[in-house]
Amino acid sequence: MNQLRQVLEAEILPKVIKPLRYVGNEHNVVKKNWDTVKLRTLFAFPDLYEVGMSHLGLRILYHLVNEQPDYLMERTFAPWTDMEKELRERNIPLFGLESCRPLRDYDCIGFTLQYEMSYTNILNMLDLGGIPLKAEERDDSYPLIMAGGPCAYNPEPLADFFDFFVIGEGEEVILEIFELITRHREARQGCQEKKVLLKELAQIQGVYVPAFYEPLYGEDGKLREIKVKESGVAPRIVKRVVKDLDEAYFPDKPLVPYMEVVHDRIMLEVLRGCSRGCRFCQAGMIYRPVRERSKEVLSSQAEKLVESTGYNEISLTSLSTSDYTCIEPLLRELLDKYQKESIGVSLPSLRVDSFSMNLAQEVQRVRRTGLTFAPEAGTQRLRDVINKGVTEENLIKVATTAFEAGWSQIKLYFMIGLPTETFEDIEGIAILAKKVLDIGLNITRSQGRHKSPKVTISVSSFVPKAHTPFQWEAQDKLELLKEKQQFLKSKISDKRITYNYHDASLSLLEAVFAKGDRRMGRVLEEAWRQGCKFDSWSEHFRFAAWMQVFEKLGIKVEDIANVPFSYDDVLPWDHIDMGVTKKYLWLEREKAYQTATTGDCRFQHCTVCGICQDLDVAMILRKGGKADVAAR
Amino acid sequence: MLLRVKYAKTPEGRFLSHLDMARTMERAFRRARLPLAFSEGFNPHPKFSFGSALAVGVTSEGEYLDIELREDLPVEEVRSRLEAALPPGLKLLEIKKLENRGESLTAQINMARYQLEIPLLQTVSREQLDEAIAAILAESAFTITRQGKKGPREVNIREGIFDLKGKVEDNIVLLEMDLQTGSEGNVKPDEVLQILRDKGNIPLAPIVRIHRQGLFIRKDDRIKTPMEEE
Repeated sequence: MNQLRQVLEAEILPKVIKPLRYVGNEHNVVKKNWDTVKLRTLFAFPDLYEVGMSHLGLRILYHLVNEQPDYLMERTFAPWTDMEKELRERNIPLFGLESCRPLRDYDCIGFTLQYEMSYTNILNMLDLGGIPLKAEERDDSYPLIMAGGPCAYNPEPLADFFDFFVIGEGEEVILEIFELITRHREARQGCQEKKVLLKELAQIQGVYVPAFYEPLYGEDGKLREIKVKESGVAPRIVKRVVKDLDEAYFPDKPLVPYMEVVHDRIMLEVLRGCSRGCRFCQAGMIYRPVRERSKEVLSSQAEKLVESTGYNEISLTSLSTSDYTCIEPLLRELLDKYQKESIGVSLPSLRVDSFSMNLAQEVQRVRRTGLTFAPEAGTQRLRDVINKGVTEENLIKVATTAFEAGWSQIKLYFMIGLPTETFEDIEGIAILAKKVLDIGLNITRSQGRHKSPKVTISVSSFVPKAHTPFQWEAQDKLELLKEKQQFLKSKISDKRITYNYHDASLSLLEAVFAKGDRRMGRVLEEAWRQGCKFDSWSEHFRFAAWMQVFEKLGIKVEDIANVPFSYDDVLPWDHIDMGVTKKYLWLEREKAYQTATTGDCRFQHCTVCGICQDLDVAMILRKGGKADVAAR
Repeated sequence: MLLRVKYAKTPEGRFLSHLDMARTMERAFRRARLPLAFSEGFNPHPKFSFGSALAVGVTSEGEYLDIELREDLPVEEVRSRLEAALPPGLKLLEIKKLENRGESLTAQINMARYQLEIPLLQTVSREQLDEAIAAILAESAFTITRQGKKGPREVNIREGIFDLKGKVEDNIVLLEMDLQTGSEGNVKPDEVLQILRDKGNIPLAPIVRIHRQGLFIRKDDRIKTPMEEE
């Protein structure tokens, strides 16, 4: 047992809350021989263990890499503040769970960027691992620090800290990257020449080395150009896409945590991508095209996973599971097969339509789960602006069915601060919630049920995201968002309606890092120096400290979050090519302002978003069993 | 069929909480494809009944679990399938079929035996330790303050200390104690250590290794294991 582990187990773990966050050793853990592999990598999740272990991407990459004889991949998570204190007091570096080795010992460390407000944790973890924060401060002896995930689609705020980013789907490119690094090191007796290596890596499609690009700013402070500094490096980085999900790697013996994690169940990914085209939604743009897994592959995966994990629930995950063309037969098959063992099936997100409601009713044969729908906006006009193809009639029907079928609670997601929004739209949220509640009241009364119905509305603030039709938009000013939140509160008078809203100041910072350019790196570093971390945890979020950082650096937060981009502006992420064209996004934005909707290419004609045209991929639907590959 | 399982919590598994334990056991039984019996309702759960909970951080070689299966299976088969499915932190020790649904484990178990290793902050001789222990056992009452949900309350734990033995080796105190557990009352090993520190003047370090040797059914002066009793 190494010394670090001894101290950890004898002195530290008995003192911290939830010590299992730092133990590893779960069922299906992979422990490889450190000395016999050629490349030692670490998956770093910049949030707590229980958040990171709920992330399907971690499991896919962890097992994919560990199945290769030459590489190992271990895990590390952001330590909670009590653990950080213990580590810092004893000068013990942050470590990987499996081998209990400090971060510095690994050859390559990959962070996943799931959420902007986890960025301070990245810096904190590097620092705890004894690794200089900035890429330029790290010589050949340090591990390569890489990142991927949805926030990598605007990598610029983090550009100073990372050696390279991976744009697109990790399982498609990770082995290519590791093979290149391994060959590079083998040719140099196990050492690396970082500059040369990065140049080699930049030749791989989807790899972005920020040091090879230089943002140039005009006298007005606006971004003018992202200039390629290095010869032989592509001006645009094109994302990587898995072509066929049936062929893609999927772990059949995934890790099973001892402690409860946020998503503690089998995750069966039924499809990737979404072509519904909600105009605020980044996932709906960057994960295109829609690629379904066949029902046969899914049921075989389910069988293996049930056997290897012992979980009592199978979640059919995707951006929009009720859109899966084989959802009914798949659901029925899984429920029939596993009902006896009390293994339930759950659907994480339901579309607001009766088809989805039927699915929810099927599901509750084994385990009843809550019902959550996302109309997103309170009026039809605004729902058309954002291209959310949901009508009030849809919602009323769904609510009626739900209450009649015995549910007594419905949760609704909305957003405020959307482009063109008026106070009438916001009042619409309250009106809609009341309508749903009234339906529930009528039904429970007529059925003579005692439990009174409840409606929960959860309201977040719109954050303009890169690579969406709303990427040019400004966020509402903080004061206005707060006013809107309070206005909505004043419109809700019924105690059976619970109103939750997100901290608007957190949304403001989210917008800053979602829209910001490379100059945000300084802000991030300074905020971390002022002690900001775990910003998405309300007990740790220190908005005042953040505002002091902006003031100190002479940056007006309003200039970033609350000012729109114009059509001619160079966007910080213009050199990142995710397949959907900028032209298409602008066209969608124009249509939003005309309150014109756009159909789904699965049911109507192609909308020429650019993904299939430019990326050599195609939509794959599985209806009828055989892959129905859309003609290019 | 009803089964009683005796298992160990190894150093690797000692940070599992009682809730983690239940979850982990359920998953192990499922992986073993053992046909668990479930409760009725919207959220069915397996019919498990554990012995008294083990504190986080404590290892044990004598934990108990009663379970119900939907089918009758040879005990040997259950043993081998479950053994293979348990995660690194848990070890199957014994398993037996229960002929009737008797009293629950928690109702029966009333004693826990612990072994502790505590480094000394200053040297203490064997005689000093013996004297301290003898003095403690000679007392008729020890009142300690416990933090309850309704605020602090005073509890006399002397009756719950059934036995206490100790020796000194390489500046480490090794203790063995039989303490009351279950519905009649509970004494924690830490509470006994506090008495040794405060009343016995033994300079025990704050870092303690605790191992539960087993859970027992103590009737009059006879001590039996839950495997012997039904």
